[in-house]
Amino acid sequence: MFHALVSIKQVPDTTNIRIDPETNNLIRQGVPTILNPYDAHAVAAAVEWKRKLNGKVTIITMGPPAAITSLRECIEMGADRAILISDRAFAGADTWATSYVLTEVIQAVHKEDPLDLIFFGKQAIDGDTAQVGPGVAVRLDLPVVTYAVKIHEVNTAEKFVVIERKTESRNEVIKAKLPAVMTCEKEIADIPYASLPDLVYSLRYEPEVWTTEGPITFDPAQLGLKGSPTTVFRTGTPEKHKAGEVLKTAETGVDVAVKTAFDKILEVEGVASMLGVQR
Amino acid sequence: MNRRFWVYIEQEDGKAHQVSWELLGVARRLADEIKDELEKTGDTALVEGVLVGHQMDEVAREALHFGADNVYVVDDPAAKHYLNKPYTEVLTHLVKKHQPEVMLVGATTLGRDLAGAVATSVGTGLTADTTHLAMGSPKEGQPKLLMATRPAFGGNVIATILCRNHRPQMATVRPRVFPMPSRLAEAKSNIIHEDITITPDMVNAEIVEIITKKGSDVKVDYADVIVAGGRGLGNAKGFELLQQLATELGGVVGASRACVDAHWISYDHQVGQTGKTVRPKLYIAAGISGAIQHKVGMQESDFILAINRDPNAPIFEIASMGIVGDLYEVIPSMINQIRALKEAQHVH
Amino acid sequence: MSTKEKLTFDVIVVGAGLAGSAAAAIAARNGLSVAMIERGQTPGSKNYFGGALYTHSLLEIYPDLWDRKPPLERPVTESGFWFLSKDGMVRATVQGGKMQNDPIDAYVALRAKFDAWWAEQAKKEGVFIIPKTVVVDFIREDEKVVGVITDRPDGEIYAPVVIICEGVNNLLTQKLGLAKHDLKAHASALAVKQLISMPAETINARFGLPSNEHGLAASVMGDVSMGLPGLGFLYTGVDSVSVGVGVTLEALTKAGIKPYELLQRYLNHPMIAPMIAGGRLMEYGAHIIPEGGWTTMPKLYTDGALVAGDAASMVNALHWEGTNMAIMAGKAAGETAVEAHQKRDFSAKSLSAYRARLDKTFVMTDLHQYRNLSHFLKSRPDFMNTYPAFLNDALGMFFSGFGKPKKQLYKDILRSLTDRRPLVKAAGDMIAFGRTIMGF
Ligand SMILES: Cc1cc2nc3c(=O)[nH]c(=O)nc-3n(C[C@H](O)[C@H](O)[C@H](O)COP(=O)(O)OP(=O)(O)OC[C@H]3O[C@@H](n4cnc5c(N)ncnc54)[C@H](O)[C@@H]3O)c2cc1C
Ligand SMILES: Cc1cc2nc3c(=O)[nH]c(=O)nc-3n(C[C@H](O)[C@H](O)[C@H](O)COP(=O)(O)OP(=O)(O)OC[C@H]3O[C@@H](n4cnc5c(N)ncnc54)[C@H](O)[C@@H]3O)c2cc1C
Ligand SMILES: Nc1ncnc2c1ncn2[C@@H]1O[C@H](COP(=O)(O)O)[C@@H](O)[C@H]1O
Repeated sequence: MFHALVSIKQVPDTTNIRIDPETNNLIRQGVPTILNPYDAHAVAAAVEWKRKLNGKVTIITMGPPAAITSLRECIEMGADRAILISDRAFAGADTWATSYVLTEVIQAVHKEDPLDLIFFGKQAIDGDTAQVGPGVAVRLDLPVVTYAVKIHEVNTAEKFVVIERKTESRNEVIKAKLPAVMTCEKEIADIPYASLPDLVYSLRYEPEVWTTEGPITFDPAQLGLKGSPTTVFRTGTPEKHKAGEVLKTAETGVDVAVKTAFDKILEVEGVASMLGVQR
Repeated sequence: MNRRFWVYIEQEDGKAHQVSWELLGVARRLADEIKDELEKTGDTALVEGVLVGHQMDEVAREALHFGADNVYVVDDPAAKHYLNKPYTEVLTHLVKKHQPEVMLVGATTLGRDLAGAVATSVGTGLTADTTHLAMGSPKEGQPKLLMATRPAFGGNVIATILCRNHRPQMATVRPRVFPMPSRLAEAKSNIIHEDITITPDMVNAEIVEIITKKGSDVKVDYADVIVAGGRGLGNAKGFELLQQLATELGGVVGASRACVDAHWISYDHQVGQTGKTVRPKLYIAAGISGAIQHKVGMQESDFILAINRDPNAPIFEIASMGIVGDLYEVIPSMINQIRALKEAQHVH
Repeated sequence: MSTKEKLTFDVIVVGAGLAGSAAAAIAARNGLSVAMIERGQTPGSKNYFGGALYTHSLLEIYPDLWDRKPPLERPVTESGFWFLSKDGMVRATVQGGKMQNDPIDAYVALRAKFDAWWAEQAKKEGVFIIPKTVVVDFIREDEKVVGVITDRPDGEIYAPVVIICEGVNNLLTQKLGLAKHDLKAHASALAVKQLISMPAETINARFGLPSNEHGLAASVMGDVSMGLPGLGFLYTGVDSVSVGVGVTLEALTKAGIKPYELLQRYLNHPMIAPMIAGGRLMEYGAHIIPEGGWTTMPKLYTDGALVAGDAASMVNALHWEGTNMAIMAGKAAGETAVEAHQKRDFSAKSLSAYRARLDKTFVMTDLHQYRNLSHFLKSRPDFMNTYPAFLNDALGMFFSGFGKPKKQLYKDILRSLTDRRPLVKAAGDMIAFGRTIMGF
């Protein structure tokens, strides 16, 4: 039987992030959290293939209890089992410590019920690091295909998968041994619209909760802040481009405004020579 | 002792990615920033490139011209195309052998794929997508560390990250964030061939097909001039007008996501959080409101000209110059004026 | 996984707004299984208003309200009218005294936060909330409503009684034939508003509020609505100000003015602009208010279904009362559903007890009393402009005519009224207005 696992993260909806205009601090309060968009597409792809191959999808996430909402969303999309990995000791983990915990959990799930494909999102939109997927793959010593846009074939009998990935300049079709790890772009699959019974089922679903107490054990030295090689030294708000002069064509006329603009543009270093005109 | 500042030289089909040269420039600056420490200890700082692939002597030589003190080269037919595992193993081996203090990798699709894996296998920290790098002491008197600064939360916040106890201190760096260093006419330093072969057990995946993108592949991320359009264009045809201006200016056309979503133009043109990050000399935003997700992709441009009917559009907050008006009047006037300008100068 | 069991509940509530979560909570508290269906991502995510919530109605559902720590912004400790002329303003607000009741009668709130919490309370009573789902129609058996159809695949869900709390856009109420008409343009106001964020200290300083425990609710009349019959408002949150203006749809369409132009004009008013200067726009939106009240109220029940809140036109526009009516009606509907289950009778006749319950509350008496208001304003389109402008002139002259014979001053003041409206007509306006709001 085909068994896929998707590692998801609940993230603040960065489109709704607000900065306190006075203190320049992030206002976390009231910022809605969402299932990381790339992860949602990864879940959709896993479910699509479980339906094709008559298999099973397990979802895991490491995060606070509130992440249960995101796990339920995955169940709504058609996943079968969801595990919340939640413990104070995990807090403050960077990508290194995160990939440690996820790896331990994935190995435990694999032992119970062998995995074929392990899905990640391309990146989480809060940190945008895109590191956790490759990190887990290295720890598991499994092939990893990043920036996946299409799964061409999953062959559980001969134990290989054919995945198309997108690089900056081209697409590559990669054949890898199973089990394999992949990180997904949004093109990987469309988000399905759940039926009402599936939605109702998911709303009632209670995910398993794994902690440092069990069912598996973790090396405390590798957890959370303590287990993270990187630390945040300071945070601030980005310096903004200073707003320059604004002309209204209604007042100056179009041509004058444009002329003024060109005068300024040609002053920018290198622009005049680039355009082949002299200032 | 040598304090090594490494740059992963990214190449595909024997062609280097420009970000590699940008990073050699950065690495040189970082090495200069610890001069005071070197004077005290008598150590030397080395800027070194690492290059993996097959038949890329040309690239190795170029690296020297961009200021590398040494370039380590691993040349193996099995490394002709990038694959995560063999490349990770080779780099892990080299890192363990030479123990660099800092390692910079371009935040490209390839670089991010590789850096995440290498950091994990070496067992060190990695700061992704940095936009600012410096060597500094976290506290007076402490040895200098790599201060890697990066945007987070969709560009709303910037964070400076340290990796105190593990080496190398790794960072991926967005292309176009740092300037190109000037190319030295003469390259005096060395190419060091590392004798590592890629054994079959290092290979767990293969490329079965390469699909080169059809049509003109737009390179908004490397253009010096971008004429970008937003929903204010009203329709797909508006981009033809922008293309005319872009052609006159020797640039390319960019777009907000609203236009890509409306299928007025392909995704390759999208600038912003979920599109390309750009840093042109000139960015013209026509009919773009300036949502934060768009701004994070273009606010590093040297000069931003915003054209919008709405004087309150947030794009004006970051525009070097703004024109409040109808883009369908302003853009044609721009096309006329640049043509006139060129013509007038030709006559002389 | 897809279990094809028939989804059945004792009660279905459509819409997790103020009315819906109240109705659902009451029904669940009395032992019924309740499904509340909401189209938004979460309850509240699609809702917003001016505005203020009224303590009495919240306590009506949760007597232990304060222990539950509702996410309210500031208590309203100052309230009243601001009358705008073209470039001036007269403030008639009240503070202290009756405004200092304990607890305070009204609290400014942000709906996205409040509605989520309000629904969460219903959930604690046992309500099963189904979000991201739109009810599109009813399941009927022998002309009786026995459930609803949603927009999802296999989207049927059954209950012998459905409480419709769908808000002003009452498509479902119309589908049942309870409301015969679409929104009436003269009886519906389009309200446009912005939520502007500012530091709490700035708000306190600009509006003269001693602390974050003090808040202002102002109804703004006169030069707010580009000469159209309308009403503006300004409410202070903890670190945000909610400003907007409502105008009847009919007037707006006739004048061909775009909603955001209307709002921008108001925000640019020389008296209003400095109050919000430097603030950051957080939210912009437009929403309809069913101002018709009594005159546009649908029939409130049919076989197997009840209607509450804005969907049933329960709004008193002059007093900004809508939330409390919605909550009271939700409560009455919930109680009626409980009673119907006890009797095992879901017929229109049995459910008419809902109307009887409501008749005993301020909801019906007030709506009846104000029934002629929208007609009054329609027939006197200048009413909302003339008098605020006059008031500004009158007080302005009174407080600036130094060194002038006072007899002339009073003559001038009277002139500034009669220039606008002959004395007899003005007196007539006042009497008519009095009669209208007294409900004669
Ligand atoms: C997770 C996420 C990621 C996103 N990523 C991106 C991204 O990568 N890139 C991106 O661009 N967006 C992104 N967005 C979308 C972003 O939030 C905005 O919706 C989008 O940028 C708006 O595009 P726009 O400015 O073209 O359109 P609008 O906001 O509709 O602005 C159109 C502007 O045109 C002006 N206008 C109209 N007619 C004229 C005229 N004739 N002349 C002059 N001006 C005119 C109007 O005044 C208006 O300001 C993302 C959103 C989310 C939620
Ligand atoms: C600008 C403005 C200012 C106001 N100020 C005040 C004030 O200060 N004080 C006051 O008391 N009142 C005020 N009101 C009025 C008040 O907001 C409303 O009367 C009140 O919200 C009505 O509550 P409701 O539950 O009937 O409807 P709503 O709060 O509108 O709730 C309806 C719910 O149903 C959901 N829904 C609708 N259709 C469907 C469907 N088919 N399927 C599933 N879900 C559906 C909606 O998403 C929504 O959550 C104001 C209104 C406006 C617009
Ligand atoms: N805390 C977490 N729990 C589970 N999966 C995660 C977590 N953090 C990151 N991931 C996964 O790793 C991907 C890349 O995340 P990142 O490296 O943070 O950009 C995400 O899309 C998720 O699939």
